[in-house]
Amino acid sequence: MTVTTPPAMELIEGDLRGSRTTSIWRDTLGNLLRQRNAVIGGAILAFFVVVAVFADVIASYDPNAILISSERGAKKLAAPCIHALGCAAAQPEHYFGIDGNVRDVFSRVVHGTRVSLRIGFLTVGFAIVIGGLIGALAGYAGGKIDNFLMRIMDVLLAFPSLLLAIAIVTVLGSGLLNAQLAIGVVAIPVYARIMRGSVLSIRERDFVTASRALGESSYGLLGRRIIPNALTPLIVQGTLGIAAAVLDVAALSFLGLGAQPPQAEWGSMIGLARNTIFAAPHLVIFPGVALALTVLAFNLLGDGLRDALDPRLNR
Amino acid sequence: MSRSPRWSPLLALCATAALVFAACGGAASPSPSAAGSQAASQPPASVPAFDQVSYPEDGSSACGTEGYKGQIGSIKAVDAKTVEFALCAPDAAFLSKIAFTSVAIQDADYLEETGGGGEALFRNPVGTGPYKLKAWTSGSDISLETFADYWGDPPKTPNAVIRWSTEAAQRLVELTSGNVDGIDNPGADDFDAIGANPDLKLFPRTALNVMYLGMNNTKTYWDNDKVRQAIAMGIDRQRIVDTFYPPGSSVATHFTPCDIPFGCTGEEWHKFDAAAAKALLAEAGYPDGFTTKIHLRALPRSYIATPVDVATDVQDQLKKNLNITAEIDVQDDTTYLATASRGELDGIYILGWGADYPDVTNFLDVFFGVGADEGFGKKWDDITAPLTEGGQSADKAVREAAYTTANNLIKQHVPMVPISHGGSATVFKADVEGAHSSPLGNEGLFAMKAGDRDQIVWLQGGEPGGLYCADETDGEALRVCEQIMEPLYSYEIGGTDPLPSLAETCEPNADSSLWTCTLREGVKFHNGATLDSLDVLTTFAVQWDAEHPLHVGREGLFEYWGYLFAGLLNPPPPAP
Amino acid sequence: MTRFIIRRLILSIPVLIGIVFLVFALARIIPGDPCVAALGERANAATCARYSAEHGLDKAIIPGVFRVDGRLEIRLTEAPATLVDNQFVIYIQDIAAGEFGVSSKFGLPVTDLLIQRLPTTVELTLYALTFAIIAGVSLGIISAYRRNSIADVFTMLIANIGVSTPVFVLGLVLAYVFAVTFKDTPFALPPSGRLTAGVSVTPLAEAWGLEGLGGPFRAILDFLSNIYTFNALVTLNFSLLADTVRHMLLPALALGTIPLAIIARMTRSSLLDELGLDYIRTARAKGLRDRSVVMRHGFRNAMLPIVTVIGLQLGGLFGGAVLTETIFNLAGVGRAVTEAIGARDYAVIQGFTLVIAVGFVIVNLLVDLSYAYLDPRVRLG
Repeated sequence: MTVTTPPAMELIEGDLRGSRTTSIWRDTLGNLLRQRNAVIGGAILAFFVVVAVFADVIASYDPNAILISSERGAKKLAAPCIHALGCAAAQPEHYFGIDGNVRDVFSRVVHGTRVSLRIGFLTVGFAIVIGGLIGALAGYAGGKIDNFLMRIMDVLLAFPSLLLAIAIVTVLGSGLLNAQLAIGVVAIPVYARIMRGSVLSIRERDFVTASRALGESSYGLLGRRIIPNALTPLIVQGTLGIAAAVLDVAALSFLGLGAQPPQAEWGSMIGLARNTIFAAPHLVIFPGVALALTVLAFNLLGDGLRDALDPRLNR
Repeated sequence: MSRSPRWSPLLALCATAALVFAACGGAASPSPSAAGSQAASQPPASVPAFDQVSYPEDGSSACGTEGYKGQIGSIKAVDAKTVEFALCAPDAAFLSKIAFTSVAIQDADYLEETGGGGEALFRNPVGTGPYKLKAWTSGSDISLETFADYWGDPPKTPNAVIRWSTEAAQRLVELTSGNVDGIDNPGADDFDAIGANPDLKLFPRTALNVMYLGMNNTKTYWDNDKVRQAIAMGIDRQRIVDTFYPPGSSVATHFTPCDIPFGCTGEEWHKFDAAAAKALLAEAGYPDGFTTKIHLRALPRSYIATPVDVATDVQDQLKKNLNITAEIDVQDDTTYLATASRGELDGIYILGWGADYPDVTNFLDVFFGVGADEGFGKKWDDITAPLTEGGQSADKAVREAAYTTANNLIKQHVPMVPISHGGSATVFKADVEGAHSSPLGNEGLFAMKAGDRDQIVWLQGGEPGGLYCADETDGEALRVCEQIMEPLYSYEIGGTDPLPSLAETCEPNADSSLWTCTLREGVKFHNGATLDSLDVLTTFAVQWDAEHPLHVGREGLFEYWGYLFAGLLNPPPPAP
Repeated sequence: MTRFIIRRLILSIPVLIGIVFLVFALARIIPGDPCVAALGERANAATCARYSAEHGLDKAIIPGVFRVDGRLEIRLTEAPATLVDNQFVIYIQDIAAGEFGVSSKFGLPVTDLLIQRLPTTVELTLYALTFAIIAGVSLGIISAYRRNSIADVFTMLIANIGVSTPVFVLGLVLAYVFAVTFKDTPFALPPSGRLTAGVSVTPLAEAWGLEGLGGPFRAILDFLSNIYTFNALVTLNFSLLADTVRHMLLPALALGTIPLAIIARMTRSSLLDELGLDYIRTARAKGLRDRSVVMRHGFRNAMLPIVTVIGLQLGGLFGGAVLTETIFNLAGVGRAVTEAIGARDYAVIQGFTLVIAVGFVIVNLLVDLSYAYLDPRVRLG
């Protein structure tokens, strides 16, 4: 998990932040397209987004439909059968095979794309919003409030993230929503730190005093200087965070604590299939590859964004 | 009876020998025998005659005393090698019960030394078995070595190592990669692959368990007899067994598996008939079905390997066959049982049961007898009556009649729907001679020869919590205890028949209410002590009497005593 | 510098206090009954009432709040009576005395369990980190040296694939490939466990005749003794060493892919930073060979943030090893806590989590201090 921490890391983050203003977007896009990492990542992501949007059309079956009685020849744990690649015409066609409940794996993987993308964005969105609020408050208020809030963040960070998430889900009860909540909560400190750092760095700049003198309100300052300044590291960390979040929720589902049956979520599919890995490796391979590719896309994109947005790396 | 010593040289030699044995074996002394050939081994006058000891100590019987619900009246150590068990009612299953691992005989002195509980006792068990404990590396493995002074045949492989893994695929990888010699519970879908592998041998395990769909007859929908009967007919149980259960499993024709005597008397369960079920549901007042839940926990058990998959299928069948919409509710592994047994589950719940000892009372009485919990709601008196009758009679004909009645009534009332008896298996390397599986999960590693290797490595599903088996409930612990300790009788290797072990015989009186066990001679414990009747008495008394100073254990619960002999002596007052 | 150290130490204290509270709260909020967890199907009301009484679980958790039958019950009228006689106070007292109680699942003192389990995780983490450092730094250097070329993209891709593949999938596949596919070849590796069955480890106390030693020194000795690599090296037991390394290779590989990507990234960006600086340009202009420029000048200075990241990953790996420990059947700390959560073993949940969290705080503190020491700007400023 890409959890980063305390003062030492702050120094590193600080180095990478630079002092961009709001007119970064055009430059960034240009830079971004020059980063091959980001291009590959973006392409993969775009592919998955398309799959997610058109899942109903792409999937040949209902992901939760049990085919025992409705389809002749559907056998539990059947290997992938593609007629174009030589599979007998009498056998029903299932690109990714059939799972332990006699359901089509391809449809489940396709629909799982929706679930995973949603998980990623929702979880990280939640963490960014809450973390950002906490961090902004801490940085802006300073003093005791800052200290108090940051100590709480430190306490959260001191726990091994997966264990903390397991504990939270055990308390709240299993389920995809609770799993996302748990992972989101565990991820808050990182974004709080980033926002706080950004606030602090802005506060100390001359143009703040100048703006204030010119009558700019606190909110205006927040909106036009602080948040855009924090945006860069937030986006970079957020993109990487989505990768981690998708993996972590999959891990929770793998352990039986996240997505509940019969929902088609990649982690839970792998978890349920792990003991049939010899009899039916396709049940682990296809969702596993899908998961790995999605996470890879976000990781590459995040890396590329970081490179693109960092002034010193662009020489 | 004492004899004056005669100072002939032969006698002197024998007297010395007897002195030496007496010194090593504690208070035991050879029982006086009328046979002439025994005359040479006379006890020297200095060894005291055996004092009869009984429990309860004042010689009274516990039967009929206030608040006592148990089956044992008293236990008496008549002499050094004889123990008498007086029961409150005839019990035909007595031999099966004393063969259970929780009443394996412990050394009385060791129990005293350890105070009947504590780390020393459950991490360092002392038994009489062919293997003794060498080392237990917590979390990693347990290693056993040959006990040199074992009374019987030494173990076929000198050393044994027991490891564990909760993942079936991992166990199979360990076996196929050659790192272990045998594993427990391979995944159901791997049976074919194992069968095709010439280096492995599969040993299917007779299924002494049952999986059922429970319904609480005090809750909405299930309080209507016709609804329950509709469910009984509306599930295609064969489909569930074919799809989710390994070879060796069977559809349940009765609640109790047929391998258990009297388990399958009476009519077979309702046949699958979706149309009739739907009609019955309409008659009950729900022509369009209704909405409910399917409760389960995701933990794999012997009676169900993939609970989630099965629940999904049941959900699908309820919808297609009966138009009942059921939401799947996966409950927490640890709270599920308590919730179910308190009758708090509103919908259909998936649960099961595995045999402790191979008698029908361990199935039917637990669920439908007088002492059953609230899981199915209100009990049926017409079922509890024949069950009580059957449990107390030793007469085969009486039992047959009683259980036939009970089974038929269970079919009629449908407190639950039995689905399957889940088979499982053990898998061994092809070169392990004597490899087998036991229906009770008591594989005897001592009877297996691992090729020409000097150690046999067994990989089971979990780590024992402790090895003081009087106070253990987990089959994983009991199996390890089986290698180290022995009860008076033992189940035959790979079967359910109780055969003499530490007792040469246990004879009943005419109506099976008094059992007299004669112990084997010259049996030693791993710490050097000799087995005598006091050890047997103490082993039983410590578990039986809640107020015994050594009634401590690991959990302090002695759960299996309740299942075997119904009640504790001086039980603590029930919870407020 | 000293002021910096003291300030950091003082800041750690509220964090530690917060951890103590949070650990207790989390453990006790978890619904469910340890008795039911222990007994499975055989649990019933009477026996569980006895069990609760014996383990002190029928006392109030905090004044006025009780746990009955796996659920929380608030009885405000009993709050004053239970002001001091409650589980939280007992917990604090125990911690102050350095006691973590007895595990309800294993019946062993938690400290004993820690001494058995923590070394496994430490060993796994060290192996994984070693692999991650060697591979990550190498990949990072290659990437930085050939920035934005195919090699760069390729190495970063490899690093990222490692971190993107879920460790539970990677572990399963690795175990299958090396244990079954390569069976009977020199490449075969055991798929689980720490040692081959039958291999025994002599505790250091025994080997050095220190069995009489007790107290904290014995505890430390036993802890070190359970790190089998250390044990093997110190007692020159090379067969044990070989066996341990063979068993650690696959888990280290699976677990190490996570920090590998981060270290690789960090190395790359940090090195790029340095390489762009003036003094490097000067060195190049002076005609120094490029490789010596990169390695001798750029790398050394770039090490700083890399070292920091390595230190931070060390802490995060600890708990994150849960899945690896499950897949490879290693009895480590992460798995122990997960199982303890399932078994509602409060003593283990509290004790282990506390130790892990405190360990993490200490590691971070050391990393901060080392960074401060190594970076002259902080040291002198």
